[in-house]
Amino acid sequence: MKAIEVSHLIKEFGPLTALNDISFSVSEGETFGFLGPNGAGKTTTIRILTGVSRPTSGTATIFGHDIERDTIAARQSMGIVSENSNVYDDLTAWQNMIFSAELYQVGRKEREKKTNELLKKFELYERRNDKAHGFSKGMKRRLTLAMGLVNSPRLLFLDEPTSGLDVQSNLIIRDVVADLVKEHVTVFLTTHNIEEANIMCDRVAIINKGNIVAIDAPESLKKTIQSVQSIEISFDYNSADQLEELSRLSMVNEAQKAGDKFKLYTEDPSEVINAVMAYAHAHNLKILSITTLGPSLEDVFIKLTGLQRTGEKIHAID
Amino acid sequence: MPLTDNKGLVKRLSCEISAAWAIAKKDMRIYYFKPNIIVSGIFFPLFMFLAFAIGKNTPPGALIPGLISITLLFSASSIEPVSIPIERRVKTFERLLSAPISLYSLVSGESMSGFLYSLGIACLPLAVGIFIFDTPIMSIPVLIISMVLTAFCFATLGTLFAAYPTENVGEVMSMLNTVRLPLIFISGVFIPISTMPRIGQQIALMSPLTYGNDMIEYAYTGKSLFSPLLDILALVIFILIFQVTANYLYKKFNE
Repeated sequence: MKAIEVSHLIKEFGPLTALNDISFSVSEGETFGFLGPNGAGKTTTIRILTGVSRPTSGTATIFGHDIERDTIAARQSMGIVSENSNVYDDLTAWQNMIFSAELYQVGRKEREKKTNELLKKFELYERRNDKAHGFSKGMKRRLTLAMGLVNSPRLLFLDEPTSGLDVQSNLIIRDVVADLVKEHVTVFLTTHNIEEANIMCDRVAIINKGNIVAIDAPESLKKTIQSVQSIEISFDYNSADQLEELSRLSMVNEAQKAGDKFKLYTEDPSEVINAVMAYAHAHNLKILSITTLGPSLEDVFIKLTGLQRTGEKIHAID
Repeated sequence: MPLTDNKGLVKRLSCEISAAWAIAKKDMRIYYFKPNIIVSGIFFPLFMFLAFAIGKNTPPGALIPGLISITLLFSASSIEPVSIPIERRVKTFERLLSAPISLYSLVSGESMSGFLYSLGIACLPLAVGIFIFDTPIMSIPVLIISMVLTAFCFATLGTLFAAYPTENVGEVMSMLNTVRLPLIFISGVFIPISTMPRIGQQIALMSPLTYGNDMIEYAYTGKSLFSPLLDILALVIFILIFQVTANYLYKKFNE
């Protein structure tokens, strides 16, 4: 049985089509990434899959339960960790956990056992009697995730789990998600951190303007755009002029500066390496490092969503 | 119906009640058990009542039924229109909307906290009547039933207004007050319905406070405009209308 089965889902808000006939499925135990620029339809999809919003047409099932007709049964098997750390600031960490367990009808003994276990796992046990309003952003995020796991879900919706977090919280959350995967929990992950999706997901779907433009394993997606390769190079001396000079080299489609390195996008890496060597020789520069890189998942994302790079930022072109 | 279906239904019902109770407990912890909320719950209806009652040639003890009615109206309907828009803003309301419970349980849970809070607050004018003015109560069971139904009716009204999809508390409160403030003048609290012009009497029939106040008046004096059974029926109908409408609006506004 599929954990999630989405068939011809359409969602319209007046004249705006937020989801345009999307279909996909997620197998049990799979970690599935859902990527897309802002306004692409990610949140609308999650709201429909969690039964908060109704589709205009089409169906979605969670472990065989239709989310519209059998909403409660579908929700009982899921945990939801929303993008905002939506904990109750005026309740303690313990009270937040117990409330979440009560909402999901976890039995009294089980809810206390699970709360103890999760607060320890997320390194919040020592602060269990403190109100959440005194917690840092990372602690609130960890508490949100702990609340999403209190009913031992078979399917976890994770919306931007590590966005803007400190290193400690980031590592704890990634470790916990890795443990969930071992326990065969299905994870539906939306993230802006494409590298995170690359590392964590078995498959990713890329959604843009309400359409799913690609859906495959990260490595398979990268293979589809082998034309986007790059050379990363570092010289012993850097100046502002070098970026423009490098971007004019033969076969370089685009050049970026990232810290003390330059990244040159090309379809012919060997030709560019030759041109860079000649450039270094002509300008009396010593090459400290040079690396050939294949396309990243970010490159795939940018190509498929029609975004474009400007310097180190990504801008929408529509 | 097969026995297993009955068991399933009982289990489901018990889960829904537990979840509604969990929501009510959460609201009471966060919003109701705060000194400023309790104090304002007592003083606002008291001062509003005194503003209209002082100067009238009525013995203070006779004012107690009206004071209880107004206290129930204001305290039961005041907190959810504040707490729900705030919860929308901080996104905790989304947590309730996505929980494995029906919207009826969500609405009932939210209303239950307002209901319990207002009953607690209304005990103060009740106690003042008993211990200070020695106001006689003709029927304690009718008083209990009237207070319970009136409190739940107005708590559901507050939850109904909070369905308006805004994060701005002021928007909900201004809409609610547009309805709530006229209610105290047309429901027989200050002006007996029998002395009102015909149009006023017809409007009074559409106010749930008319029936709540009438029944509380009966519990104290044994006199009322309608029979207590009719008051009970009217209040139950208002509760059902508010509950079904609230359920519909929460569903509609989240699509």
